[in-house]
Amino acid sequence: MNRDYGRSIFIAVFLAPALVLFTAFVALPGVRALLYSLQRWDGLTEARWVGLDNFARLFREGDLFLIALGHNLFLLAVAGSLILVLALAFAAMLHRRIRGAGLFRVAFFFPNVIAAVAVALLWILLYSATDFGVINAALGAFQRMCHSFGWDWPRVPLPFPFLDSRYLLYSLIPMMVWSAVGFYMVLFLAAMEGIPEEYYEAAKIDGATPLQQFRHITLPLIREVFTVGVVFLVITSLKFFDPIWVMENQRPTRDSHVLTTLLYQKVFTEYNVGYGSAVAVMLFLLVFCATLISLKLSRAERVEY
Amino acid sequence: MKIMCQYVVALCCAAALLSGCDAVRRSGGDASEEVKVEVAVFEGGYGVHWHMGVARRYEQEMAAQGRTVRVDLWGDPRLSEKIKPRVLRGDPPDLVLMHDLPLWLLIAAGKVLPFDDVLDQPAVGADGRWRDLFMPGMLATYRADDRTFAVPSAVQAWACWYDARLFRRHGWTPPATWAQFMALCDSIQATGIAPLAFQGKYPGYAWFTFISLVQRCGGLAAINRINLMEEGAFRHPDVVWAASLLQDMARQHFQRGAMAMTHTESQLQFVNNQAALIFCGLWLHNEMKASTPPGFEMRCFTVPAVEGGKGNPRLINGAGSEFFFVPADARRPEEGFAFARYMISPRNAPEMGRAIGVLSPLHGGTPREALDPPLQSAMDMIDQAEGFFYERTFELLLEWTNQVMQPGLAALLRGELTPEAYCAALDRGMAEAKKNPDLIIPVYTPFDLTQFGETS
Repeated sequence: MNRDYGRSIFIAVFLAPALVLFTAFVALPGVRALLYSLQRWDGLTEARWVGLDNFARLFREGDLFLIALGHNLFLLAVAGSLILVLALAFAAMLHRRIRGAGLFRVAFFFPNVIAAVAVALLWILLYSATDFGVINAALGAFQRMCHSFGWDWPRVPLPFPFLDSRYLLYSLIPMMVWSAVGFYMVLFLAAMEGIPEEYYEAAKIDGATPLQQFRHITLPLIREVFTVGVVFLVITSLKFFDPIWVMENQRPTRDSHVLTTLLYQKVFTEYNVGYGSAVAVMLFLLVFCATLISLKLSRAERVEY
Repeated sequence: MKIMCQYVVALCCAAALLSGCDAVRRSGGDASEEVKVEVAVFEGGYGVHWHMGVARRYEQEMAAQGRTVRVDLWGDPRLSEKIKPRVLRGDPPDLVLMHDLPLWLLIAAGKVLPFDDVLDQPAVGADGRWRDLFMPGMLATYRADDRTFAVPSAVQAWACWYDARLFRRHGWTPPATWAQFMALCDSIQATGIAPLAFQGKYPGYAWFTFISLVQRCGGLAAINRINLMEEGAFRHPDVVWAASLLQDMARQHFQRGAMAMTHTESQLQFVNNQAALIFCGLWLHNEMKASTPPGFEMRCFTVPAVEGGKGNPRLINGAGSEFFFVPADARRPEEGFAFARYMISPRNAPEMGRAIGVLSPLHGGTPREALDPPLQSAMDMIDQAEGFFYERTFELLLEWTNQVMQPGLAALLRGELTPEAYCAALDRGMAEAKKNPDLIIPVYTPFDLTQFGETS
């Protein structure tokens, strides 16, 4: 009994710092945000209770919340799909021990270790409409080459304003894919490395093509890790902030807002803490639901051979 | 268990030590005779070196008068993020150079003290009241209920900038009318140089050109209607006219790709003669100093007159800037006021011009020879002007500015919105914004049309 009591104290002492920090910096601010979402408050003067008004406003026609959410979903659907497909493809290739696999692994993973802000700055330079813009310069050279052959193509006036708010979401896709694909590739590759080689050998003897092996062995056996990857992607896409904030110079517009930039702008630029907190609460609920669904899916029956 | 007890004792000792240090720090200020003034300054393009120099001189002058004053002046590019929590917890500095702070919110919440008593005191280094030294209109921006809540330390004005050397080479001259301006842009385009650089990532830059054109087209009456937030203020034909002039200028003469350029990118295009003109405030010279190539002769002219317009073309879209305010919860507000009066004085204005290239808001405060040629040209522009006007909605209607005014302006410049549609959207958005019961609309004293030779 005495020993059990001592053990409990021992565990409590080790847990206490984490619990205190979690309560102080996560749980309490979370509860405060929930309270703010029910108030009208500019962050400087007296707050006023408005009930669910802020939430009602989020779903009003034409409100930025739904537009921003749409942008998040667009990025998730387009960039997320590309990331998953490419990461799977690259992982499968590396798994088949192609030449220079180690080099590719490092090269693909490298962008992942660069801070999101640095990645954004790098792509700003690449996309720049000034003389610094490598992509516009390349397009210009290509256009001139086409013209020299008498082809009037590509028919876009150059430099193309990739960083214009109207095109920003599209311009983000290559950047997102470039910076994220390495992480998912490593994740999937690690799962693939865990598949016993005998399965592939048996499949080869049965005459299965590499594509069939991938479809009937690799994919089912990495399903759990794949689900984790999807959860990561959903959460990352919903919390996407830094690149848009940097590329829009802290002034995202209706064309480029995502949930987090909207939240920030409402709270810190427009001093509408209530509305911003309502966005934060919705963001939390979305991430929470997405995680629950993904976890539920991952608990589905495990494939065994 | 024994180890745990040792940890707890060590933690308690550390906490006691830390609280002791804090107590010593707090009591140190009270025990001495020294008066400490805390001044927070936004560290932007002008830096804080000049302000620090003034602080040291102030300390010396106070010492000569037998007072020990220590000015704790600090600067930060993210000043507002540091000031906001301090205002909330009732512990702000004694004087703050406002930047990116919702001053009207603070004024409405009673968190800013009025300057009027100190404005009525004698100026430092000149005869008469401090208030009387300011150029007309300089104290108007943060004035409500006959009280002045912030004083400017600089003048800002909207101008069109050019390279005089490039102009000489091509035989171009600064235009006096909008038709001449558009003809000049055509001539520039014919040489293969882009006529106008534009800070497209910040469409708000075009707002100041737009408002200048509104005054040129509709006179101060149009500005008054907007500042009073009258229904239909933007749908007025004169304002729609101004919007169409702005759109024509952007569609015909903006540098290709301008809408994707930041302010620094576009301004670099300008100083590298990739574009011949750029609309900007007086800060342009200072902001681009390090990047301006030798031989570039940066000069400016005011927004040209519009033929048939009702506005006096000798008025400038400008006002005071770099405003200082004293928070109501400051520990020593009277010291904050005293330092502001010293800093923004005829004694310090020439040095401010020389050191950081800022035009003083005081009458004749900045001697011409103290300025670089670009600012001399700006000073000439101001000297030739008959007064300033400003527009206040963008600062009061924050959500409208972010969600309606700026994105709509970008669409107008790209040609996606007609001038009529843009102006209607501005009016609709303003009507919607005015429904907000928390919106602060300070009392506005309309510009006197007759004073500036305009008629309604």
